Amino acid sequence: MKTTKKYWKGLAQLHDDPIVEKLAQNEFVENLPVDEFLGDKENLSSTSSSRRDFLKFLGFSTAAATLAACETPIVKSIPYLVKPDEIIPGVANYYASTIYDGRDYASVLVKTREGRPIKIENNGTCSNSRVQASVLSLYDSARLKHPLKSSEESNWRTVDYEIKEKLSNIKDGKIALLTSTILSPTIKQLIQEFAEKYNNVEHVMMDSTPYDGILDANLETFGSRLAPSYSFDKADVIVSFGADFLANWMANEYATDYVKGRDPKNGKMSKHFQLETNLSLSGANADKRIQIKPSEHGYLISSLLDGIKGNKFDSRLEKIVKALSNAKGKSIVLSNSNDKNVQLIVNAINNELSNYDKTILTNQPTYLKQGNSQAVDNLLSDMKDGKVSALITYNVNPSYSYNKSKQFNEALKNVELKISTSSYNDETASLMDYVCPDSHNLESWGDANPKQGNYSLMQPTISPLFDTRQFQETLLSWTDRSDYFSYLKSFWIEKGIDWNVTLHDGYFHLEDKKIKLKKFVDRSSPIKNTISTDLELELYETIALGDGYQANNPWLQELPDPLTRACWDNYLTISAHTAKEFGLENWNVSNGALNGSMVNIEADGVSLQNVPVLISPGQARSTVGMAIGYGRTKAGKAGDGIGFNAYPFTGKKTISIEKVEGEYEFASIQLHHTMMGRDIVKETTLSEYIKDPSSGNHRETYATYKGKLTADKVTLYEAHDLEIGHFWNLSIDLNSCIGCGECVIACQSENNIPVVGKEEMRKSRDMHWMRIDRYFSSDMTEELSAKEKISMIDMFSEMEEPSENPEVVFQPIMCMHCNNAPCETVCPVAATTHSNEGLNQMTYNRCVGTRYCANNCPYKVRRFNWFQYSDNDKFDFNMNDDYGKMVLNPDVVVRSRGVIEKCSMCIQKIQELKLNAKKSGQPIKDADAQTACASSCSTNAIVFGDSNNKDSEVWRLRNDERAYDLLDHLNVRPSVFYQTKIRNKA
Amino acid sequence: MNKKVLYAIFDDEEILLESVKVLRSKEIEIEEVYSPFPVHGLDVALGFKETRMAITAFIYGCIGLSFGGLLIYYIMISGVGKSWPMNIGGKPNFTFYQNFPAFVPIMFECTVLFAGHLMSLTYFFRNKLYPGATTTSPDPRTTDDKFLMEIIVEGDDNKMRKLLKETGASEINEKDTNNE
Amino acid sequence: MHKESEIRDPLILGNKTYHDITRDIARPVEGKANKYWWILFGLSVFLFLWGIGCMAYTIGTGIGAWGLNKTVNWAWDITNFVWWIGIGHAGTLISAVLLLFRQKWRMAINRSAEAMTIFGVVQAGIFPLIHMGRPWLAYWVFPFPNEYGPLWQNFNSPLLWDVFAISTYLTVSTVFWYIGLIPDFAMIRDRMSKTISPMKKKLYTLLAFGWSGRAKHWQRFEEVSLVLAGLATPLVFSVHSIVSMDFATSVIPGWHTTIFPPYFVLGALFSGFAMVETLLIIMRKVVNMEAYITIKHIEYMNVIILFTGSLVGTAYITELFMAWYSGVAFEQYAFLNRATGPYWWAYAAMMSCNVIIPQLYWIKSIRTSFIATFILSIFVNIGMWFERFVIIVTSLHRDFLPSSWTMFSPTFIDIGIFLGTIGFFFTLFLMYARTFPVVAQAELKTILKSSGSEYKNKTHE
Repeated sequence: MKTTKKYWKGLAQLHDDPIVEKLAQNEFVENLPVDEFLGDKENLSSTSSSRRDFLKFLGFSTAAATLAACETPIVKSIPYLVKPDEIIPGVANYYASTIYDGRDYASVLVKTREGRPIKIENNGTCSNSRVQASVLSLYDSARLKHPLKSSEESNWRTVDYEIKEKLSNIKDGKIALLTSTILSPTIKQLIQEFAEKYNNVEHVMMDSTPYDGILDANLETFGSRLAPSYSFDKADVIVSFGADFLANWMANEYATDYVKGRDPKNGKMSKHFQLETNLSLSGANADKRIQIKPSEHGYLISSLLDGIKGNKFDSRLEKIVKALSNAKGKSIVLSNSNDKNVQLIVNAINNELSNYDKTILTNQPTYLKQGNSQAVDNLLSDMKDGKVSALITYNVNPSYSYNKSKQFNEALKNVELKISTSSYNDETASLMDYVCPDSHNLESWGDANPKQGNYSLMQPTISPLFDTRQFQETLLSWTDRSDYFSYLKSFWIEKGIDWNVTLHDGYFHLEDKKIKLKKFVDRSSPIKNTISTDLELELYETIALGDGYQANNPWLQELPDPLTRACWDNYLTISAHTAKEFGLENWNVSNGALNGSMVNIEADGVSLQNVPVLISPGQARSTVGMAIGYGRTKAGKAGDGIGFNAYPFTGKKTISIEKVEGEYEFASIQLHHTMMGRDIVKETTLSEYIKDPSSGNHRETYATYKGKLTADKVTLYEAHDLEIGHFWNLSIDLNSCIGCGECVIACQSENNIPVVGKEEMRKSRDMHWMRIDRYFSSDMTEELSAKEKISMIDMFSEMEEPSENPEVVFQPIMCMHCNNAPCETVCPVAATTHSNEGLNQMTYNRCVGTRYCANNCPYKVRRFNWFQYSDNDKFDFNMNDDYGKMVLNPDVVVRSRGVIEKCSMCIQKIQELKLNAKKSGQPIKDADAQTACASSCSTNAIVFGDSNNKDSEVWRLRNDERAYDLLDHLNVRPSVFYQTKIRNKA
Repeated sequence: MNKKVLYAIFDDEEILLESVKVLRSKEIEIEEVYSPFPVHGLDVALGFKETRMAITAFIYGCIGLSFGGLLIYYIMISGVGKSWPMNIGGKPNFTFYQNFPAFVPIMFECTVLFAGHLMSLTYFFRNKLYPGATTTSPDPRTTDDKFLMEIIVEGDDNKMRKLLKETGASEINEKDTNNE
Repeated sequence: MHKESEIRDPLILGNKTYHDITRDIARPVEGKANKYWWILFGLSVFLFLWGIGCMAYTIGTGIGAWGLNKTVNWAWDITNFVWWIGIGHAGTLISAVLLLFRQKWRMAINRSAEAMTIFGVVQAGIFPLIHMGRPWLAYWVFPFPNEYGPLWQNFNSPLLWDVFAISTYLTVSTVFWYIGLIPDFAMIRDRMSKTISPMKKKLYTLLAFGWSGRAKHWQRFEEVSLVLAGLATPLVFSVHSIVSMDFATSVIPGWHTTIFPPYFVLGALFSGFAMVETLLIIMRKVVNMEAYITIKHIEYMNVIILFTGSLVGTAYITELFMAWYSGVAFEQYAFLNRATGPYWWAYAAMMSCNVIIPQLYWIKSIRTSFIATFILSIFVNIGMWFERFVIIVTSLHRDFLPSSWTMFSPTFIDIGIFLGTIGFFFTLFLMYARTFPVVAQAELKTILKSSGSEYKNKTHE
C-alpha cells in the first residue's frame, strides 16, 4: 500500500532550505575535484609539498614502518583483576577428583597451578599410565570446541531446542541410549528421568572389550549379573588363564594387592601361574608361565577342574593342581575368556577351592564392566529394522570399537535422529546429526561407584576450555532442567554424606544394601580338547593406549610398550619359530633402527593389509597377537593413521596370514633384549632368599692392603661430606616393579619432557628421563658354554637370542645421581655438578652441548636436545600447540635446543618440600618426600627419601640385604639403588 | 773530513768468512755483514756475544708455569673454589696437591704457550722486525746469493779496497752520501 | 762447517747454485699456475663450499642433522677431529724433532710439513666447535673474568685440557713456521720489482717484516729456531696424549685404556707422515719441485712409516691382550665386539691399512717408488681414520647396559662436513703452494755445499 506521508530529516528540510535540495541532487559526488588539485601547473607548484618533500615523507614512513616491524613482540601477562582467594601464584592447589572415561577409573588428586590442572596424582587407589596422561587430553586441541549440527558449527540453544523437539515427536520408535559402563549413580538416575520424559527409551551399555563371559556366568551361578572383586593379597596361589590383571583386565586396581602378596620379607610369597598366548605384563611377572593356544584355553581350564576334583588331567597342569589343592580358600583362578561356559568352569574351580568370600568377593562386586554385548547386538538389529528412531551415544565409539562396526555404520542410516555426546568428532560422532560435546573429567562435576560400597566424587578443576557441556547437563537440559552441580549435591546430601568433607577427600564409603545372591550352582560342562594346527589370533590391549580412547595423546603414543619396547605402532606379535615357518623376519638397519616384514591377515571376511610383524619371545607357537586401540581415523593429528584397527577381529580365533613384499619401520627403543650374562638385574629364588636374604646379591671384592674390600670401600682420595644435611636416595624394588610404565608418564608430565615422534624414537633419540628396561632370559649362559666348551664368540652371539618362553625382568632406569659421577668430571664448563644433598645437577643454561657427559654415563640416562622440540612445526605435538602448552609445569624449564637434560630427582619438588618445612618450622616428614615416579607408583616399588634421616624408609631399604648398586664395580656410588628380584620357583 | 761506506760483495760464504778473519786480525772495524742464509761461524769470527734468547725463553716458561698454576689454584681450590665450592664428580678440591694430577696438562701447556710466544715477540722486538718495516740491506742480492760486508773508512779508501779485493770480494761499491 | 761422508746421495739434484735455488723457490710465486693446480684448486674449493653448507645446516637446525643417538653421542665429528690433529703432528715432528737431531734431509720438506700441520689443526679445530649443541657459546670454554656468577671452567675435564693443548699447539707452531718464513719472504720481496708488480712487492714487504739478513739477526734466528723446536717437541707429544685422554680418562670399556697416550702419539706420527707424503708427491708435480723433494726424502719417510706402523700394530695387540688379561667381562666383550661385532669391517679396515699394508715398505722397490708410496700413503690415511672410528663408535655403541645398545650410521651431513674439511685443507694448501716459498730456501742454501750434487761432482773429480 502506498503511503503519502512525508518524513522530514531535520528542520532545514522542513523549512525547504535550498541546501537540502542541492545536497539531495549531489548526494554522491561523481567528479572528485582532482583537477582542482593536480590539474594545472601553478596549482601544483603552489602546493607547499614539493617532490622532495614527498620523497622525504616516503622515506620517513618507510623507516617508521621498518622500525615498527623491528619492535620486539610483547608477551602480555594479564594480572588477576580480582584474585581468587584460593589461588596464590606459584603455589599449587590440589583437588580430589575422579577420572573415569568409560574405561579407566581412578580416584585422583589433581595438581593445579594458577588455575590450570597440570598433573594427576594418585588418591589412594591404583591408577595407570592412561589416567596419568589424561591431563594432557584435557588440553587436546582436537576436542570439539562447540556443538555440531550435521557437522556444522552450531550453538547449544539451537541444538537443544531441535533435539528436544525431535525427541518429543518420536511416538512409537525407540530412543536408544548407547553408553559405556555407567559408574555414576546420578547419571543412572538422570537416564531414568530422561526415560520417563520421553517415549520408550532404552539404555544399552557396551564395553570396548566385552566381559559378558564372566557377567553371564555369574548370572547363572549366583543369579546376579556381576563381576566379583578379587583380593590378590590374600591369595597364595594365583592361576590366570590369559587374564592380564596387572595391566588392563577388568579393573586397574589389582597390582597393589598383587605386590602386597609377593613381599618376601616374611618368608612368604604368592605363587603366580600364567597360562597365556601373548606375553602379557602379568605373564612377564609370573613365577611360572605356560604358553597355550587360544583353542586350548577352555579345555585346559576344564582339565584343571578335573585335576582338582581328583580325576586325571593334562600333564602340563601338574604343578598347578598340586599348588592349588594345598591352597584351598587361599587361591584365585582367573580367565580372560569371554565364553560363558569357560567362565562357568572357572567359577566351579573357585567354588571347588572354596575361594568365594575369601579371595573372590561376590558380595562386593566391581561395577567397572556392565556392558552387554547381546543387548548391543539386539540394538544393532533393531537399527537395521528401523525400529530405532533416535540414537544417543555417550562415551562410546562403536563405529570404531564395535566389532560389527561396518554393519553399525550401515544401520545408522535407518535412524532418524543420531546424537553423539563425544568430546571428539570421532569415527561415530562424524556420522551423527548432532554432536553435543561432553566436557573433560577435569572440567566436570560427577560421581562414581566403582565397587559395592565405594564411591568417589568428581569436581572440576578448570572451567571448560571450549564451548562444551558435560553429559549430565545435557541430559538435564533435555529434561528441561539445568544446574547439575546442585542436582549432584542434593542427591548426595539426601544420601546423608558430609558434602564438604567428601569433596575434600574425593572418595567415601556407604553401607549399600547387601546384594542377594542365590547359593552357588555348578552349571559347568566339560570342554573337550580340540587340537588345531592352524594359526590363531589373540587380541590384547597395550598398557599405553588401552582401547584407543586417548589415541590422540602423544604421551601415550610415545610410551614404549613394556614388553616389545616399541611405540607409535601396533603390530602382529609372533614367535621366532612361527616367523621362520612363514619366512618373516625382523632386522636392524645400519643406524640400528628395527625393520620387519609385513603380512596380509584374513579371518572369515575381515582382513588387514600390510600389517607389520614383530617377533616377540614368549608368544606361543603358531599364534599371533595384535593390540586393539590403534588405527584410529578421526582421533586427531597425533592418533590418526597410527597402526591398524584390530577390533573387527574380536571373537575371531583362527586367521590366515600371507607374507607381502616391502618392509615396515618400527620405532623400538630397545634393540637388544638379553642381559648378555651380565650382573645387571640381580635375582634369586624365594627358597634361597629364606636361607640367606642376601642371596643373589653377590658383590665383587678387591684385594687391598686392608684385605678384600668391595668397590665402594676402595678409594684414592678423601670423599666429599654427604653426612650433613639431606642425602636424597631412591630405592627401586625390582620385585615390586611390574613394568607398567605409569612412572614414565608421571615423570613426563612433571618434568615437561618433550614428545619427539616416531622418526626420532626410531633413531633411539627418546627423551624420557626414566625408562623401564626389559630383559629376556636366554638359553645360553656362561655355565652352559663352560660345560659344553662353547667358544666365547659363539657364546655371546647365542646369548643375544632370547629363549622361546623367557623369564622377564623389568628395571626402571633414571639418572643414578652418582656421587662419583663420571659425567660431572668431564664437563669442560662445569655445567653438571654435584649438590651437597647427593644430587647430580644439570645447569641447562651453562651447557654448551659437547655431549661428553652422555658418552661417559655408564647408564646412558642423559638426553640431548637434538632439535628444538618446543614451538617447532617439525615436532607438532603438545609443545607446539597453544592448548597443549598449558599442561607444562611452570616449576620446570622447557629445555632449549643443544643442551643435555636428565632426571633431576624432581628437584623442584624437593625444593618446595624444604621451603614448606622451613615455613612451618617442622622437620621434613619422610612420607612427604616424593618424586613424580615414586608417588605415581601403584605398587610402591619406588621409594624416595632422605638417607641421612635414620628412621626413613629409604634408609631402611639402603641397608636391606637385597639392596645393591647397579654396576657397583665402577664405584660411581649411585644415590639410586635396587632391591634384588625374587622368584617363587619350586 | 769525509767518511766512506764501502760495500764489499762476496759470492761465497767461505771466502767471506776468510776475509772477515783477515780483516779482524788487522783490527779493521766491520760495520755489518748481510747474508742470504746463516753462515756458520760468522758470529764467532765477528766476535759477537752469545745471544740470550734461550734464557728469556726459560724465564717466560717459568712465568707461564706459575700463571697456569695460579689460575687453576684460584679457580678450583682457593678463590672461586672457596667462595663457591663445587663438588665435581666427587673429585677432591680441598687441597691443590690432591687434585694435582688433573692440573698437570694445562700447567704444561701454559708453560709452552708463554715461552714460545713471548720469546718470539722478544725476537721480533730485538731485531726490529714488524709488519711494515722495510729492508735495511744496501743490496737486494743479499737475500739471493750475494754476501755483503759493510765497512766504514775514513780518508783514503784505496788501501781498504785493495785489501778487500785480495780477500776475495767480487765487487766493491760505495754508498753515495750525496743523495742523502 | 758441516761435513758429510762422500757416499751419501745428494739431497739436492742437478747442478744447482744459490741463485738457482732462489729462482726455483721463487718460480711458483712469480710464475703462473699450471693446469694441475687449477684443477685441484677448483675441486677443493667446491668441496669446501659444500662443507660450509652442511655446517650451516647443522648449526641452523641442530646436531640432530647428524646420525648420532642417545648412546653414540660422538662419531664422525670427534673421529675427524682426532684424525686431523694426528695429521698435524708429522709437520711439527719433521721441523722440530728432526731439527734437534740435525737431520739435514728435513730441510726440503719441513716448510710444507709445517704448513700441513697448521692447516690440519685448523680443520681439527672446526669439529670441537661445530659438534657443540650451542656453538655460539663456545667461548665459555676459555677462562675469562665474567659476570655469570662468576662461572669458571672445570679443570678436571680432558676437554678443557684439549682446549689449552690445541690452542697452544696451533699458535706456537704458527709462530715457529712464520719465523722460519721471514727470510724467504724477504728473498721474494727483493726479487719483486716495484714497477712490474707493485702490489706483490708491497705484500711481501709487509710479510717480510723488514728482514735484511744481518749477522746478529741470523745468530738470533738460529737460536730461536732451536729453542722453538725444543719447545715444540714435548708440545707435539703432549697434544696427542691429551687428546687420547678424552678417552683414556673415561669409564667406557674400550676407552678406559692406559696405553692410549703413547699409542695415539705414534698413530699421529704414522698418519702424519702418510699425509706429508701424499701432499709432497702432489706438490712436487703441481709446482715442479722435483729437484728438491727427491725419492731420498720419500724413502726416509717410508722408513719412519714402517717403524711407527709396526709400533701401532703392537699397540693394537697389547690392547687385546690387556682386555683379555684384565678378566673384566665388560672390557673383554668390548674388544671381542670390535673384532667380531657389527662393526667388524671397520676393525678389519683399520688392521689391514695400518698394520699389514705398511709392511710392504720392507721391499726396497716399493719404498723407493713415488707411485707405490702415494697409493700406500692413501691407505694409511684411510686406516688411521678407521682407527679413530673404531675406538669411538664401537666402544660407545655397546657399553655397559645392553638395553641402550644401538648402532650408528652417518647422514649425508656428516659426510658433507668431512669432505668439506678435506676441501678446506687442500684449498689452503694449494693457495700456500702458490704464494709461499714452499721450501725453506735460506736453510737449504746452507746445505747446498754439503749435499748439493754439483759439489759432490767436484769432490769426485
